[in-house]
Amino acid sequence: MSLYIALPILMLAAVVQSAWLERLTVMGGRPDLVLVLVVAWALIRGLDEGVLWGFVGGLCCDLLSGGPLGVWTTALTLAAFLAGQPWVHTLGPTSIRLALMAVVGTLAAHVVILGLLSLRGYPVSLHWALRTVIGPAALLNFILSPFAFRFLVWFHQRSLRQSRLGL
Amino acid sequence: MTRQGRSWLPYVLLALAILLLALSEAGTLGPVVNLTSYIFAPLERGVAGFVRVVGELSQTVREVRELQQQIESYQSENAALRVENIRLQEQYVAENQQLRLLLNFSEENPTYALVGANVVERGCEVYPCAEVIGVDNNPYLRYFIINTGSRDGVAVGMPAVTGGAVFAGRVARVSRQQTFVQLVNDPDSQTAAMLQGSRVSGIVEGRPDGSLVMTQILPDEIVEEGEIVITSGLGGLLPKGLVIGQVESVSYQEASLFQEAIIRPALDLRRVEVLLIITDFPRSTSPAPLEEP
Repeated sequence: MSLYIALPILMLAAVVQSAWLERLTVMGGRPDLVLVLVVAWALIRGLDEGVLWGFVGGLCCDLLSGGPLGVWTTALTLAAFLAGQPWVHTLGPTSIRLALMAVVGTLAAHVVILGLLSLRGYPVSLHWALRTVIGPAALLNFILSPFAFRFLVWFHQRSLRQSRLGL
Repeated sequence: MTRQGRSWLPYVLLALAILLLALSEAGTLGPVVNLTSYIFAPLERGVAGFVRVVGELSQTVREVRELQQQIESYQSENAALRVENIRLQEQYVAENQQLRLLLNFSEENPTYALVGANVVERGCEVYPCAEVIGVDNNPYLRYFIINTGSRDGVAVGMPAVTGGAVFAGRVARVSRQQTFVQLVNDPDSQTAAMLQGSRVSGIVEGRPDGSLVMTQILPDEIVEEGEIVITSGLGGLLPKGLVIGQVESVSYQEASLFQEAIIRPALDLRRVEVLLIITDFPRSTSPAPLEEP
């Protein structure tokens, strides 16, 4: 079930991010819809499914980027790896965990992207990135995360119902 | 696939992601990426179209819209005229100045045997408009995704222009249905350029924050603020005379070998919606050897 819904949702999210959200810059930054979905799914379904979504979502983002293939895949897989860790569930109520992981996941993913681009020889300015890309993106992802979470919880409950019915 | 109750899947996927990076660096994933464009290109076109329709619907007040359109048309007309003016200056004034200098040189040196070389005529075979359907998903890179591809004759390295003769960037990756254009302000972009008035040459580079800088300007060159920066055509990869921007400020530190100039782009590239890909243009050729009389 997870991969059946992951593919269309993440593909559409990557396309919406490229065709629409990339133009909606707020304070210089823009939301990472795919990242938010991946982190939310990792919180709902745990490490394995979260990482699978991270891998697929990252691949979709990479295919809509002119940069080297694998940058987004590595970043989102790692963000999901972080969000899916069992100790995250000890951090308090769901809303706190979600907010925390949206911010931490954004930071982790962007640091990985910058690191990989820097390794490939791209000029990288960490100070500028923190101020104008990562900071606003973390804030926007934090705002976006409850909506993404509610949407995915609906899918999660639907898949649970189907598995109980043996579908 | 577990190890003492712990799953291997996350580690396998992490390793796969890093393997993808390595394969991408080796350039072996081209055909796979091309295949995926069959899925993504129509989807992106559809979403881009939907977004456009929704955007148009949101402008409910008709008078405001009409006024906005009028302002936009005046602005675009103004921008087109400015670009045309720069282009004509480049074509005639600068050429005239160069020919005068050559004439002076021949008059001052009557004993020299000189071979005249024609300035190659500007012009290009331009492919019909390509619509920008998406922007790079990576916030640190500046690429446009456009709705033309190799089926339309687009190939890697071809220049993209917009707003008349404003240089937007170069084709970096092309599949059958869509093309990735690396913008002139991408951090990895380098363009051979020169100043229109003083003919000072240098390299225009993109910076991580999206600004443009002209580097490799020799320290003894005089660079005036406000000078127009155009492509120099060096190397034959780009046509000469495409407008890049205007010099905003110049800096020179004693320790460095070259001067640097901050360039104000001719257009706000974030707002570009339509691009033209120049599929062919006349490249300057070396003069033919002298024939014995």
